[in-house]
Amino acid sequence: METLQYALRKFIYSIPLLFGVTLIAFTLMVYFGPDQTYQFLSKNPTPEEIERVRSELGYDQAFAVRYVQYLGDLATLNLGNSNSSGERVTQILVKHIPVSVALALPGFILSVVLGVSIALIAAFYRGTWVDKGIMVFAVVGMSISFLIVVIAFQIIFCSFYGLNWFPVQGWDVDSVGSYLSHVTVPTMAIVFVALGYNTRFYRAVIVEEMNRDYVRTARAFGASPVKLLFKHVLKNAMIPIITRVIITLPFIVIGGNIIIEKYFSIPGIGQVTLEAIISGDLPIVKAVVALTAVLYVFALILTDISYKMIDPRVSYK
Amino acid sequence: MIQRIFFLLVALFALLTFAGCGKSDSDSGSSTETPTIFKYSTEGAPISMDPVRAATKYANLMVTSIYDTLYEYKYLAPPYELKPRLAAAMPEISDDGLVYTIALKEGVLFADNACFPDGKGREVVAADFVYSFKRMFDPDTLPQGAWLWQGRVKGAMEWRESGTDYSQPLSGVTAVDDYTIRIELTQPYPQLMYTLAMGFSSIVPREAVEHYGKEFGINPVGSGPYMMKDFTTKLAKLVANPNYRDEVFKLAEHGYRPEEHAFTGVERIEGAKLPIMKEVEIHFMAEPVTRWTSFLKGSEVQYATMPLEQRHAVTESVNPLVPKPRYREKYNSMLIPDFGLVMVYINMDDPRIGMHEDPDQNRRNQLLRRAIRKGYDWEDRNNRFLMSAGSYFPGIIIPSLEAFDENLSRDTVTANFEAAKELLKEGGWTAENLPPLEYGAVTSVRSKQYFEQFRGWMEKIGYPTEKVVYRPFPNFGDYSKAVKNKEVMIMPMGWGLDYPDAENLLQLLYGPNESPGSNAANYKNPEYDELFRKAKEMLPGPERTAIYRQLNEMIVEDVPVIVGLMRRRANFWHRNVIMYPSENVHGSVLKYVKVVPESESVQPPQ
Repeated sequence: METLQYALRKFIYSIPLLFGVTLIAFTLMVYFGPDQTYQFLSKNPTPEEIERVRSELGYDQAFAVRYVQYLGDLATLNLGNSNSSGERVTQILVKHIPVSVALALPGFILSVVLGVSIALIAAFYRGTWVDKGIMVFAVVGMSISFLIVVIAFQIIFCSFYGLNWFPVQGWDVDSVGSYLSHVTVPTMAIVFVALGYNTRFYRAVIVEEMNRDYVRTARAFGASPVKLLFKHVLKNAMIPIITRVIITLPFIVIGGNIIIEKYFSIPGIGQVTLEAIISGDLPIVKAVVALTAVLYVFALILTDISYKMIDPRVSYK
Repeated sequence: MIQRIFFLLVALFALLTFAGCGKSDSDSGSSTETPTIFKYSTEGAPISMDPVRAATKYANLMVTSIYDTLYEYKYLAPPYELKPRLAAAMPEISDDGLVYTIALKEGVLFADNACFPDGKGREVVAADFVYSFKRMFDPDTLPQGAWLWQGRVKGAMEWRESGTDYSQPLSGVTAVDDYTIRIELTQPYPQLMYTLAMGFSSIVPREAVEHYGKEFGINPVGSGPYMMKDFTTKLAKLVANPNYRDEVFKLAEHGYRPEEHAFTGVERIEGAKLPIMKEVEIHFMAEPVTRWTSFLKGSEVQYATMPLEQRHAVTESVNPLVPKPRYREKYNSMLIPDFGLVMVYINMDDPRIGMHEDPDQNRRNQLLRRAIRKGYDWEDRNNRFLMSAGSYFPGIIIPSLEAFDENLSRDTVTANFEAAKELLKEGGWTAENLPPLEYGAVTSVRSKQYFEQFRGWMEKIGYPTEKVVYRPFPNFGDYSKAVKNKEVMIMPMGWGLDYPDAENLLQLLYGPNESPGSNAANYKNPEYDELFRKAKEMLPGPERTAIYRQLNEMIVEDVPVIVGLMRRRANFWHRNVIMYPSENVHGSVLKYVKVVPESESVQPPQ
């Protein structure tokens, strides 16, 4: 009950944040976003036709009117239709978000699990060749451009120049097998790049914990390395780890992975959003901005709640 | 333990790497099974498949595959000859050229769809064409093709201005009976027939428009050879329309010439019922590397364009196209010209470089434009960015059109920096008084490269570097808006022809079409306009060709645009795919494609 009250209270406190995010994003879209008028006009339009299209797109209305209309649409969950294709925005989100989630989630989970595991090892062997070796690999992973990794993995694992094991492109998923065939190489690319960042971050967190008195006490007590790392150190290091994991989740859900989606020709929400931003398809951009903001607020609430679950000493007050 | 895991990972990586080195062939499945799917690819995707918005070649490809038009281009007869499609025959045209009477094929059905009662497609009748035509003049549909018929079809503008009431007649387009259409014009319009082969003039059922509302654009329902099965931003799956009429392919009807077409194996589809393939996948891949890698894989897309960066690896020569033996053995290939051109408009409304009230300054500006053109090195552009596969030509009329003048001097497309300097000198232009040149473009690495090349040429003619300015726009919408508002001085642009008539190019410089119309150069020359008005109503013939050429020479003289280059792309397709590729206006070529078992592939020439 206390948790629910806290979550509600946090959500209410977050409403100004939602207003702020939507207002800033809407201002940027209106004043700096592309003008779609000429995309919808015939080749030799009359001034009346131009005005008609501008009116259809809502460009002739005052900023305040458009913003209030936007908020009204969000409140009633009426996200409208894409200016370009005419498709309902809710349908676009329903069609593309699951693809992005299914594409990014395995890589995300693996990179966190592997990152934490390797970080534990590096921290445990801090200063030895194991630690240094891991850090070298982490830096190498961080230094190579994601684009290069994607292209290299595509050539090695997908092309006829290489192993030719997986599809080069597409998302024709109708079974677990087809899902695995499409997701494996993108996952490997995501893990390859994310692992370096994750390992370095988690190592720093864990090393800090390793210097605490309770670790020395546990060692003196004769705790095994596994018990020490997983039962004591990892548990105490969970707050920064959980924070990083949960805060990243909204971007997995809605942000997609633009480079992966582009190079593997996967119909995820990342590419849809990017194209909407470039073309000025406001209904899609508005929906994605609002959804990201809401998910971010939920992630923050979830993070706070998880603190309490991990460490009962944390108070909601 | 940790060391063991580490060495295991290294060993696994090495195993994967070395295993990949041994595998070189494509995964193309069984060599004797008859394939049922053709996997096509394009670099762009259609945004909407509503015919009234089929303004891009990607949309046109989809629309003409799903919908019927009254006429279509013959498959093998470039530069483009028409034949009846939904029409039963070529039209009867009145002596004054103002009334077209078109008979429709009987018994043609729309594809089955939930929009119809019981989901069964009904017969296509003349009233459907009338309805579809009215949609083009309904502003609520955001139509993009109305300009083709605006002011030319009787009553169209009146119908729109009177409130677009679909129950009211549009006097110029009527259904005489269920199978006869009559089109009445306000002035002779020799290009009308071509417009009736464009995706814009596709015939849609009213039930579908009303059933799907705003989402009609992604739920196309037509009477064409294919139906939409699935559509995402990356892939469209089309399946053969079971209601499609009995249409049999005959080589003789499509302009077959063995010396030109036999290398593709198209004679094998003689007598085939259309559409040939049960399913067609169209993969939309913006990334050229992905598209090419997918093509080479063997089991994925079967048709792709070779990226510029691959030319040394894949070909011995690009122009003429000679693939290396390993590619020639597995793939058929062809250089396919764009049915259009790339050019650089100069804003004639800008007194710094365009027309000027003062005759002396006007003359100096003309010399300045000529000097810029003289410094514009099409050959360098072609070699550097287009694999030397493009062809550049004087004037705005492209070589594949009948009105192209082979005798027109090539002097205007041959860079000569010294001659350019002379022109500047003649106009009294010095480094101090030359106006800044603002080069507009949608920002991208390639457009920046184009600009730097342009700036290099301008330096060579004596233009101060700091006076040649890059003016990037973040997206095409903003660039387009600036062009339409006459705010850009130098405008690199492309134009894809809507139909094979030079009128479609010459209207780009017609005064009344100035921005926001298609005359982006804002060129206004009363003599040009008068001649153009005269020519556009004339039937094809020597007299019209002479006027077209005269107009072309005026453009060369005044330099409102630096023209022009026609790109050619090196397209490749698998040898077990029987097809003769074509792009742009041609529309539905997918229905003619046949994929045969690999054992029956077309053999490469010895």
